[in-house]
Amino acid sequence: MMDALLAGMDQLFTISTMATMLLGVVAGVIASAIPGFTITMAIVLTLPLTFAMPPLQGVATMLAVYVGGYSGGLISAALLGIPGTPSSVATTFDAFPMARAGQPGRALALGIWASFFGALISAIVLMVAAPPLALVAVKLGAWEYFSLIIFAMTVVASLVGKSMLKGLLSGLLGLFIATVGSDPMMGVPRFTFDSDLLANGFPFLVVLIGIFAVSQLMSEVEDADDVASGRPMMPKEVSFRPMDGMRETLSYPVNLIRSSFVGVFIGAVPGAGGSIANLLAYDQARRASKHPETFGTGTPEGVIASESGNSATSGGGLIPMIALGIPGSAVDAVLMASLMVHGIGVGPRLILDHGDLVYGMFMAMLVAAAMVLVVCLFSMRLFLRVTAIPRSIIVPVVLVCCVIGAFALNNRITDIYLLLGVGAFGYLLSKLDYPLAPLVLGVILGPIAESNLRRALMSDDNWMLFLTRPISLALLVLAAVSILLAIRHHRRHRTPQTV
Amino acid sequence: MSTPSSSRSSAEERPNSPTGSAGSAGSAGSDRPARSGGRGEPVAHLVLNGILALLFAGLFLRAGELPSSMWEPLGSGSFPRLILAILVLINLAIMLKEARRLRTLQPGEPGMVVQWLRRHRLAFGVLVLLGAYILCLPWLGFALASLCFLLAGQWLLGARTARGLGIALIIALCFSFGIDLLFREVFVISLPRGLLG
Repeated sequence: MMDALLAGMDQLFTISTMATMLLGVVAGVIASAIPGFTITMAIVLTLPLTFAMPPLQGVATMLAVYVGGYSGGLISAALLGIPGTPSSVATTFDAFPMARAGQPGRALALGIWASFFGALISAIVLMVAAPPLALVAVKLGAWEYFSLIIFAMTVVASLVGKSMLKGLLSGLLGLFIATVGSDPMMGVPRFTFDSDLLANGFPFLVVLIGIFAVSQLMSEVEDADDVASGRPMMPKEVSFRPMDGMRETLSYPVNLIRSSFVGVFIGAVPGAGGSIANLLAYDQARRASKHPETFGTGTPEGVIASESGNSATSGGGLIPMIALGIPGSAVDAVLMASLMVHGIGVGPRLILDHGDLVYGMFMAMLVAAAMVLVVCLFSMRLFLRVTAIPRSIIVPVVLVCCVIGAFALNNRITDIYLLLGVGAFGYLLSKLDYPLAPLVLGVILGPIAESNLRRALMSDDNWMLFLTRPISLALLVLAAVSILLAIRHHRRHRTPQTV
Repeated sequence: MSTPSSSRSSAEERPNSPTGSAGSAGSAGSDRPARSGGRGEPVAHLVLNGILALLFAGLFLRAGELPSSMWEPLGSGSFPRLILAILVLINLAIMLKEARRLRTLQPGEPGMVVQWLRRHRLAFGVLVLLGAYILCLPWLGFALASLCFLLAGQWLLGARTARGLGIALIIALCFSFGIDLLFREVFVISLPRGLLG
């Protein structure tokens, strides 16, 4: 192991690798700070640039974009209330109210440090515990995957919004939207009505941009009198004190470590990833907090939980990819592709045949986390200038970026038509207090849920297996408990209001 | 319940809109005024859920026509039908809840709808502009359509002075022709060329 680690470090710590990693970090932060540009997109755009590099340099550069991206999502989540990526949805819950309350600098400093510690902890866990964690992940069959998604959906539906019914409606609507287009198993077109518009279904990125960016931007300009006053989206004076942010982040060590471990574990489950981890870490932090009522109002605990949780998935996501050759997310799939381009087979033998490369990747994670921290701390004042830009500029410009993001994904004009429809529908839902996060999650998880349900029943048509397999049962029980707790919570909080 | 939301709007900090439906989900502990003012919100819920319930019921029937497979117990239609059935039930539950709430509310003051529409005129204006931009994009091409949209959008949202319009023009050029060039030359992604093609 030590030989491989040293060999990996030898290849990693070269000027050219460090330089491309630094560029990757900057690109990742900027790309994911722009709503509509996801980490996946940034990584996909980076892939062709790495073909000419040696394998470790190429994959390290992409890891830098990956780690940078997880931190960059924080910026638009905190400043604009728009999650730059699905992984920073929960960050908007508290970082945005905190920024709105006149503390954008504090929200960013907390998020950056939480991201750094989350990535650091996940890289350490990845190095120490990759093999055993991969063994746990490999035991999950189709039944467990399906139950896991049910659990994730119920947690999300109960977590956001004021009404459980509205949360469930939103989540199920997402699951339904995902069924439009080709059936994932047989390729049969469903609900397409023979139109070109719906032939390819609703790509999740288009739904994400439409739901979060377009509808959020509409909300930004909905008060005509306020816009006419020319008030910028944020106060102009922002005090950014990185060291205070570090101290404050470290003053919640249990939250930080718990959220990071949630992130690592969820990241290790293929198909889950950062989009769930930030919400679960947030939920766990709220349940464990002495002041759960402060969550959603701009509490530092919420920012720390979400950001450390999502950053930690970057390390967790590498576990199944490295140990099993199963990418944990779309981003991991692109990383895997970059190794395969260099003729490196990804699978159980990767760590045996290319130990130096694997340990080099582990080290690259640590280096990237440190680089993100430095880049963000030094450039944050530049990012904060975004806050002084008036809405008359930011809204049209970000809308154009949204249109580019939706189009460039598949080079399809129909995707931007869908963007318009989804954006208008999302705005309507948000005006009526329907939470939007469950909908987006439903769209991402829908195909995974359906494929696993059908696969499970193909191998054995006994539905009882969902209840007799212990991990599946445990996940379903947790799902039921989360619904019951949410109902109890809603009732308890509704009673005093009606008196 | 103090619940967070992913899509909280800045409306939280402003006086609420006349229908009381301003802002998106979750006001996270904020005390929103005039929540019960008017019947607009429950009526909107009833209409939305009624339309969705009818749509989902129709799609449920249509999903029954999807082919089944001899290889698996569930065909293409079973999973969507399961989801659609639960969706209809939830639509009905929300309608029932809102219908009960509607009975307890007093009618709002006259002119509230007009006032609400007036206040939201910029949001609808931006939405209309976005719609026109997206529909014209294949014909005009990305660069020209974006240039027009950015200029019109910035003008609509308040760039009316000569200086403001100058800045708007520079920004519009950068984010239309500039982005087009960047994507074509650096990322090798060709955005629609339209008239310039």
